[in-house]
Amino acid sequence: MRRLLHIEQIKLLNYNPFRITLGIYFVAFTLGLLIYPAVDKEIPVISLSDLFRFPDVWVFLTWVTEPYNVLLALIIIMITTKEFNNHTFKTQLIFGLSRNELLLQKLLSIVVLALFATLLLGITSLTLGLLYSYKLTFKIAMENTWVLGRYLISSFSYMSMGLLVALLVKNTALSLLSFLAMRVFVDPVLFLVLRKYEIRWYLPFRTTTQLTPVPDLIEIFEKKMNTNEPITESAMELLPKGLSPWLNILMVFLYTSLAIYFSHRLMQRRRFT
Amino acid sequence: MNEILSIRGLSKSYKNVKAIQNLNLKIREGQAYGILGPNGSGKTTTLSIVTGIIHQDGGSFSWFGEDPEPRQRKFIGSLIETPHFYPYLNLEKNLKIICDIKGMPYRDIGRVLDTAKLLERRKSRFSTLSLGMKQRLGIAAALLGDPRVLVLDEPTNGLDPEGIAEVRELVIEQVEQGKTLILASHILSEVEKICNHVAILKKGELLANGLVKELLAEDEIIEISCDQNGALKQKLEESQLVKEIEIENGLLVLTLNDKATPADINSFAFSNKLVIHHMLSRKRSLESQFLELVKEE
Repeated sequence: MRRLLHIEQIKLLNYNPFRITLGIYFVAFTLGLLIYPAVDKEIPVISLSDLFRFPDVWVFLTWVTEPYNVLLALIIIMITTKEFNNHTFKTQLIFGLSRNELLLQKLLSIVVLALFATLLLGITSLTLGLLYSYKLTFKIAMENTWVLGRYLISSFSYMSMGLLVALLVKNTALSLLSFLAMRVFVDPVLFLVLRKYEIRWYLPFRTTTQLTPVPDLIEIFEKKMNTNEPITESAMELLPKGLSPWLNILMVFLYTSLAIYFSHRLMQRRRFT
Repeated sequence: MNEILSIRGLSKSYKNVKAIQNLNLKIREGQAYGILGPNGSGKTTTLSIVTGIIHQDGGSFSWFGEDPEPRQRKFIGSLIETPHFYPYLNLEKNLKIICDIKGMPYRDIGRVLDTAKLLERRKSRFSTLSLGMKQRLGIAAALLGDPRVLVLDEPTNGLDPEGIAEVRELVIEQVEQGKTLILASHILSEVEKICNHVAILKKGELLANGLVKELLAEDEIIEISCDQNGALKQKLEESQLVKEIEIENGLLVLTLNDKATPADINSFAFSNKLVIHHMLSRKRSLESQFLELVKEE
C-alpha cells in the first residue's frame, strides 16, 4: 500500500498539469470562499454572511463547493488516461505490478484527494464560522459537521465515476468530454424529462449532488427579516425533496461500487500496448 | 540445470490473425535463448504473454517451475518493444518508480545508469533522450536489482551501428555473468553472436529449436557411435578432421573441420579398427529453412 502510494506520489507531484489543476482547485476553493463575505457586506437584509455562521456554514459551504468535485474527477481522468497515452500501465505490469495493484494505485489517489478536499472544506468552514458567528459555543460549532462525511463520499464517488470513464474511453480529451457531458448535460436533461417520475431521483449524478443538498435559503432569510435578533439556532432545513437521506446514500454507494467493479473488470481485461 | 521458463501449447489470436499457435518452449538456467523470426512471427506476442501484458487464448506457461504470478516478474528484467517511461520525469525518478514496484532500495540506480552509460544524464527528463538512449534506459531498468533472468525484445531496434554494438556488448556481459537471457530478434547475426540456444518462429509456429551452433552454424555436424566411443573420441581429437566433439545421449556429436566429410570420418575410424554403426548428419535442412524464412521479409 505504502509502496503504491509512493509510486503515485512521484508520478503526480512531478506532473505539471496535475499541480496546476490542483493549484487552481485550491485557489478557487479558498479564495472564492473568502471573497464571498467580503463582497456582500454592503447588501442589507439578504446578507450571505448570515450563511457563514455556525452551524449553517457547514451545510452551506458543502453545497457551494460540491461542483468543485468535478475538477477532482477531471484530475483523475487526466492522470489515468495519461497512463494509457504514455504506455506506462504496460511498463508497470512488466516490472511486476499486478492488474489489481494498478487499479488500487488509482483508488488510493482518489482516497487521498477526497481526504484533501474534505480537509480543505473543513478548514475553510471552520475559519469562516469563527469569523462570522456572533454566538460561539462548542456545541453549536460542531453541529452539522456530519455533512463533511457526506462531502467525502461525494468526492470519492465523483472521482470513481471519472476513473471508470477514463478506463472505458482511454483517450484524455474524449474522456473529459464524456464525463462533463454526463454531469452537465445528460443527467440534468434526463432529470427534467423524467420530471413526472420518481425514478429521476435515482439518476447517478443526481444522487451524488443530493448528498450535499441546497440549504433552505428562503427560510434563513425570512427568519432574518422577521426578527431583529441575530440567528442563534440552526435555520438550515434541508429541502424536503428527493430520496430520503439514507436511501440516497445507499444509492451513491451502489453507483460507486458499480463504478469500481466495472473499473476492475476493465483493468483485468484491457490489453496494455 | 533449473528450469526458468516453460511454455506449453500457448496460443493467441488477434481477431482473424493467429499470432502464435500451440507453442512449446523450455528455457533453462544459464541459457542465452534466442527467439528468431521475421516480423509478425509472434515473438513479441510470446514475450508479452509471459511478462503478463496480455492474456493468452490457450495453453499455459510457468516461471521458475511455478504458475505465473506478478511477483515473479520482480526477478525478471524485461524490455518489451520500445521502453515506455514517464516522459516528464527525469531518469532517476523513473527508475525510482521501478525500484518501488520491485520493492527494492534506490541504491542500485546509479550502478545501472552507469552500466548503460547514462549516469551524467540522470537528471534529464525521459522525453529529452534520443532513441538510442531510451533503449539503453530500458535495458538499465531491466538490470535493476540484478535479476536472474533478462527478457529482451529487439533490444537493438532503431539504434545506429555504434549503439547496436554497445547494447550487444552489454547483453553479452550479462550472459557471461551467468544470467539467463531470452532474446527476441529478427536478425540472424544478432542471435548468432549473443545466444547459445535458439527457437525459430514463423507465423506463430515453432519451426525448430536447439543449439545455435547446430541450427545456424556453417560447420557440418554429424552424430556417430561405435562400440568404443571413448577410444574413437580420443583418436578423433588427435586427428585434423574435427573441431569439436561432444557426447550426447551416448552419441558422439562432431563438428567437422571445413574440408572433412562424413566419409573421411568413416574411413578414419575403420583404419583405426573402430566400426561405426551409427552415423547421422544433423546438417542443415533447418538452416536452409531459416534462410528461406528470412528471405520472405
